[in-house]
Amino acid sequence: MSYPSDLRYTKDHIWFKENGETFLIGVTDYAQDQLGEVLYVDLPAAGTVDAEGTIFEIESSKSATVMQIPFAVEVVAANEELDDDPENINNAPYDTWIAEVKADEADVAGLLSAADYEATL
Amino acid sequence: MKITIIGAGPGGYEAAIYAAKKGAEVVLIEKDSFGGTCLNRGCIPTKAFLASSSVLEMAHEAKSYGIKIDGTIEPEYSKIVDRKNKVVAGLVKGIGALLTANNVTQIKGFGKIVDKNTIEVTKDDGTIETVTTDYIVLGMGSVPTTPGMFKYDGNRVITSDEILDMKEAPQSVILVGGGVIGTEIGQFLAAMGTKVTIVEMMDRLLPTMDEDVSKQLARQFKKDKINVITSNGIAEVLPSSGSVEVVLQSGDKLSADYLLVAIGRMPFTKDCGLENVGIEFTEWGGRVKVNEYLQTNVDNIYAIGDLIDTAMLAHVATYEGICAIDNIMGKQWSPKYHAVPGCVYTTPAIASVGATELELQKEGKTYNTGTFDFRGLGKAQASGHIAGFVKVIADENDVLIGASIVGDTATDMLQVLTLAVQLGLTSEQMLQSIFPHPTMCEAILEALHDLHGLSIHKL
Repeated sequence: MSYPSDLRYTKDHIWFKENGETFLIGVTDYAQDQLGEVLYVDLPAAGTVDAEGTIFEIESSKSATVMQIPFAVEVVAANEELDDDPENINNAPYDTWIAEVKADEADVAGLLSAADYEATL
Repeated sequence: MKITIIGAGPGGYEAAIYAAKKGAEVVLIEKDSFGGTCLNRGCIPTKAFLASSSVLEMAHEAKSYGIKIDGTIEPEYSKIVDRKNKVVAGLVKGIGALLTANNVTQIKGFGKIVDKNTIEVTKDDGTIETVTTDYIVLGMGSVPTTPGMFKYDGNRVITSDEILDMKEAPQSVILVGGGVIGTEIGQFLAAMGTKVTIVEMMDRLLPTMDEDVSKQLARQFKKDKINVITSNGIAEVLPSSGSVEVVLQSGDKLSADYLLVAIGRMPFTKDCGLENVGIEFTEWGGRVKVNEYLQTNVDNIYAIGDLIDTAMLAHVATYEGICAIDNIMGKQWSPKYHAVPGCVYTTPAIASVGATELELQKEGKTYNTGTFDFRGLGKAQASGHIAGFVKVIADENDVLIGASIVGDTATDMLQVLTLAVQLGLTSEQMLQSIFPHPTMCEAILEALHDLHGLSIHKL
């Protein structure tokens, strides 16, 4: 299992990657392993998602899992490629972004580092 | 005792056979084919169509099951229609045989009430046969609602009636109405290669079901590439020779080869002579008014099925037909509607009975839910049909008051829950039963356990 050090992590297995003015988010290697074969991603619509709100839902062969975001974000875009190739999340969890969001720098800085995230597992 | 029934749909023909078996002299009048809308234009033809599209779906998935298919896999619409016609014709003939075997007098023609004991039937050749009778049961059913603004012409602007006999699948269609009919037909046409857009007034598909049910279907429709537009309606319809353009209430414009109107159905009473005996109708919806014994305001005339203000479902019509005959023949009882099952034959299929969470929340009632996803079951994983869930709803006394199932076998699995809600069984009573393994029914067992936080296979 890998946890790239240039990303920030929520305790609920979502990674944040800096993308200029915005952030790309996805799910970690640990998450895709727990989920099993990803069959479908309920992508978020553009707009605000409140703190502790549902950012996306992932349907896999094992379960349908709701993923929550710890602080408010504004969804700018969603990765439509996942409509046709949801298994990209299993194959390349850190190269497969799910949504592009605007978030408070301080909130993202307050997330776990790779080492701290790995320690929670 | 002579009973004349107008309309040989699931309400009328079953009432006719039941009454004949109980010793009445029975006359059944029907202007088209036996079986009514259900057999000829509704339930059965659409299920025959969906059987074809489900074979197509399995063929496309064959590879993942280790089955190699060489060559093209594609639907042949005209052959699908041929098969449907064969199925329907066989069943119509079967009803005729049952009626004849039970000595029911069958008259083909349009029945019109002259007075409370007389009906005039205009036959196909124009001649009129007069029937005198002791009792009348009205079972004329319903027709699709086509408000003037839609400019229904049966050509570019159509209803479910026309789609069943086309020579080939439409290239594109706009379906008005995301209810049972719209979703079933929409998904079928999408499987046939039609570009489908569904426009629904409410904020989701199947708005009378619970939100978790609508969500599963919306997800599948997205995978099926069906364009779903909710919280919107049709403001204007502009048909032309080769296509139809519509303007939505939001101002957006859409265009397609056909506009299919599936917004509901209305009772068929036109020219049936009900005014000649002063039959009363309900204030809203023009349904025939009946008392708790299905009797109209005219003492020897009863009404059932889509004509009256109850759910427009074939099995409700049948239930009411039996009730009306019992009431006419001396056994008095009133229909109970707290456990009416409803089925939607989409993929995944949907079946529900009793109260929904939505209704209970509106009424401010306390309730408890138990749910279980099919993918937690061995049978679901083995068969590859993992989509969906079972949800059971119990009241504060643990009595089952409602349930929803979304999944491959939903419509056949619902019955045990319908029975439970009908009889007011508690989950504790139901959990005394052994559920066979491996079956999809085990999801019901797990959902019942989940009411008490004791589902074994739920993470």
